[in-house]
Amino acid sequence: MLKKADINKFIAAVMNNGYKVFGPVKQEDGVSLSELKTTDDISFDYFNFILPPKRHFFPWSELLYKYKDKTIHEAPLPEDKTILLGIRPCDARSFSFLDNVFIDDKAVDPYYQNRRDNTIVISLACNQPLPSCFCTSVGGTPAGKEGTDILAYDTGDSLFFEECSERGSSFLKLYSKFFSTPDQADVQAVKDFIAKAEKQVLSVNIKNAAEKLKEKFYDSVWDKLSFRCLSCGVCTFFCPTCYCFGLYDERDRRIRVHDACMYKGFTLEASGHNPRPTQSERMRQRIMHKFLYTVENFGKIFCVGCGRCVTACPVNMDIRENIVEVIG
Amino acid sequence: MSTKPLENPYIPKPVTIEKITIENEAKDLKSFRLRFVNKEDEKAFTYKCGQFAMISVAGAGECPIGIASSPLDEGILEFTIKRYPTGVVTTALHNLEEGDIIGVRGPCGNSYPMAGMENKNVVIVGGGFAFTTLRSTIRYMLHEKNRSKFKNITIIYGARSPGELLYKQELEEWEKRNDVEIFITVDKGDENWKGREGFVPAVVKQVAPGSENAIILICGPPIMLKFTWPPVLELGFTPDNIITSLERRMSCGIGKCGRCNIGAMYVCKHGPVLSYEQIQELSERP
Amino acid sequence: MGGTESIENKLKDAVKDLFLKKKVDIVIGFEKGSLPLTSRPCFIRSSDMAERLVWNASCTNNLAVYLPRFFQKVPRAKKSGTPPPVVGIVAKGCDARSVVGLIKEKQILKENVVIIGMSCQGVIDRRKIESFIDGSFIAGGRQEPGGILEITTGVGDKKKIKVSDVLAESCIECQYPHVENADVRIDGESITASDDGYKAIKAFEEKSPEERWQYFTDEISRCIRCYACRQACPNCYCKVCFAEQTLPRWIGPGDELSDVMIYHIGRIFHQAGRCVECNACVRACPVGIDLRLFTRKLCMDVKELFGYIPGLSIEELPPLLRFELNDNNDFITTG
Repeated sequence: MLKKADINKFIAAVMNNGYKVFGPVKQEDGVSLSELKTTDDISFDYFNFILPPKRHFFPWSELLYKYKDKTIHEAPLPEDKTILLGIRPCDARSFSFLDNVFIDDKAVDPYYQNRRDNTIVISLACNQPLPSCFCTSVGGTPAGKEGTDILAYDTGDSLFFEECSERGSSFLKLYSKFFSTPDQADVQAVKDFIAKAEKQVLSVNIKNAAEKLKEKFYDSVWDKLSFRCLSCGVCTFFCPTCYCFGLYDERDRRIRVHDACMYKGFTLEASGHNPRPTQSERMRQRIMHKFLYTVENFGKIFCVGCGRCVTACPVNMDIRENIVEVIG
Repeated sequence: MSTKPLENPYIPKPVTIEKITIENEAKDLKSFRLRFVNKEDEKAFTYKCGQFAMISVAGAGECPIGIASSPLDEGILEFTIKRYPTGVVTTALHNLEEGDIIGVRGPCGNSYPMAGMENKNVVIVGGGFAFTTLRSTIRYMLHEKNRSKFKNITIIYGARSPGELLYKQELEEWEKRNDVEIFITVDKGDENWKGREGFVPAVVKQVAPGSENAIILICGPPIMLKFTWPPVLELGFTPDNIITSLERRMSCGIGKCGRCNIGAMYVCKHGPVLSYEQIQELSERP
Repeated sequence: MGGTESIENKLKDAVKDLFLKKKVDIVIGFEKGSLPLTSRPCFIRSSDMAERLVWNASCTNNLAVYLPRFFQKVPRAKKSGTPPPVVGIVAKGCDARSVVGLIKEKQILKENVVIIGMSCQGVIDRRKIESFIDGSFIAGGRQEPGGILEITTGVGDKKKIKVSDVLAESCIECQYPHVENADVRIDGESITASDDGYKAIKAFEEKSPEERWQYFTDEISRCIRCYACRQACPNCYCKVCFAEQTLPRWIGPGDELSDVMIYHIGRIFHQAGRCVECNACVRACPVGIDLRLFTRKLCMDVKELFGYIPGLSIEELPPLLRFELNDNNDFITTG
């Protein structure tokens, strides 16, 4: 149990130990996940961050190496010790998905792995789902622990911390002097509140989606669905689990930047051939990737139900409606 | 949590272009013989027939190219690369000269089932410039250390015109050997062409040996593949003994960047070599 | 009544009529969106589908963005040669000007477009509504007659807000709400044309170059390069955008500010004499960059230098598509 009044002291102590702390900072256009410079502008008054937190492990754009004098000069691997504070459980869950792609594989991505290894995730249980939320339909809950090290519950004037990983518990031990023994009644109250929140989350029936999608590859539904789509790719940029990227050379350097399956150039080959020539194939790819291919490859639906794609889409393409329409 | 990787898979290794050979009349196919700048990189780069590598030209970018040399070609790597007017990297590569340094990353992907081909008759069917990794395989099998491991070897190779045939000198050498049967065909010959004319699928029908204890590797443009499957199946090859190699645009080459997938199968990671049986199981027909 | 609902019914009837008289093959309009107080584009293909149509202050999109695709060759289409369909489009003043622009730029065929001109009461800016219900979110909402929004907040409160209090800035400054080239006209309440003489732009121009540059830099540095501004814009129909060309590559794909700026400068300048200030780019921007200020400056310049307003007349060519001997050419110095 940490008194909110003491949070500044706690953060200061953490920073003193060499951590960069990213947390919910109140800004002009809402609360965003920003680096805490001072400790007095933290706000727990938010629903979720506008941008997904994936960029902390996998930035929009990152330098891999420079090429000078016929030699490759590798960019140093990121080593910053980092705390991510206030991540919502849906987003924390996305980290465990990204781990499947970037770490739990024959080829390990050293940039992602280093950042992940050096980061402690403190998530904040969700007590107010938005109309766009649907985490419970894709296997999450407003107080889910997947992908996080510590889960915090907002009890009003205090935060109650629950250890969710070994790293989380050894981290909390270091700062035990800031914590008091939790008041069980308080904790129960919070948990009840969250249980109530869970019931408010919109439920989407996507049972056996993967199985049903297998039959839908050559269905005309994709043409129909994709017609409204503008191919802008905002859904992928705002998706916490979308991880597609491209490697590009810019003058003397090679960078890695986020890319999107919604763009026609994504799969365009040098010969001019494009295996996904229209938005129909590209939309199919995005939905199939999340609800079928990742299920086949990792046993997981790569959607955490955060609803960002639903709200950010300029033409209100709603993945909840779309998946239901496809699987019928 | 996890072990640190030994090697950053995104960093290419420097190689020197030792020799450039113009392969065809159209001059848009060049073979590059490369040698690693550093001995330890050469040692670490152990590959098998059918694998590919990511080739980097500084400032232009990177693209996946099948390895055309044989794993037994010591010290060198060879790639045959087609230049596309719209291809940034292939154009940059074709503008390079001998002595220039480029980058190689890999090897990537899986390989032809070389062990499974031992003690079997092997049929190789190639069309156009998709012949490169097949050439690697042929060189490997015909190597004096290896030839006895394989039974009859039959090669069927076709190109649009005589001028578009790759590796002409090697083809001649192979034709002279008596431990390999080779059928070369062109869609249309010219006044000097004395060889076979006709499309690859038709030639397969005419000359392909039986499927008994045999495995067949087929690489070529999609249209050729489409018309080659039926006669090959008719000859009695079972789908698991029909092997091909796929192509897609790639960026990472290690199954992460997300663009080369056909269904749940990532060409760079689970492929590029697939059996006809595996292709039939894909949700998407490549 | 004069509320949106009666306009909505008039619209439905008009669209049904168009189908019954076989005057259209398809109508692009708005239907109810999946989130509270939203509408979204929909494609009506028969008279009975017309019931889906809605018309209210949340009909924000510029539907003209969908028009060029009806007149382009689709990569997978087996046969070309089938004539393009006749497309009806539900249009606000700005949207109709986009349609006219597309006709002038020969992206669509005039005879294949039926403009259904709506009386426009302006569209809402959701961010403004959110500031009215401090701290909460829009959990429910509908528009009542008389331009009143009834909002249910996240905590269950009900609030009534006037549409006119939460209008998008572009609507407040709109000079041409009236649809000039309507083939079918749906009358109802309308906002009045404003002419504030480009006050905001003039004020911005008063600032020092350093301040202006700083503002541009601050705004653009938030860009994540999703290109949604381009995709939502009816004017951005190029098959390959200069930003994505690879041979030659004009700008790098990374997050270097100069590259991002060149994309935006390129996009903005391509709007000179073409932008109808529909605000589609601003609404599409997921990180809320103030793109309007920059394009509006060019709209103002084109108006003041050439006396040209994009999209009002089908015949008058844009200044950058024509040449006249007496063109303003004082940028050429002699001697």
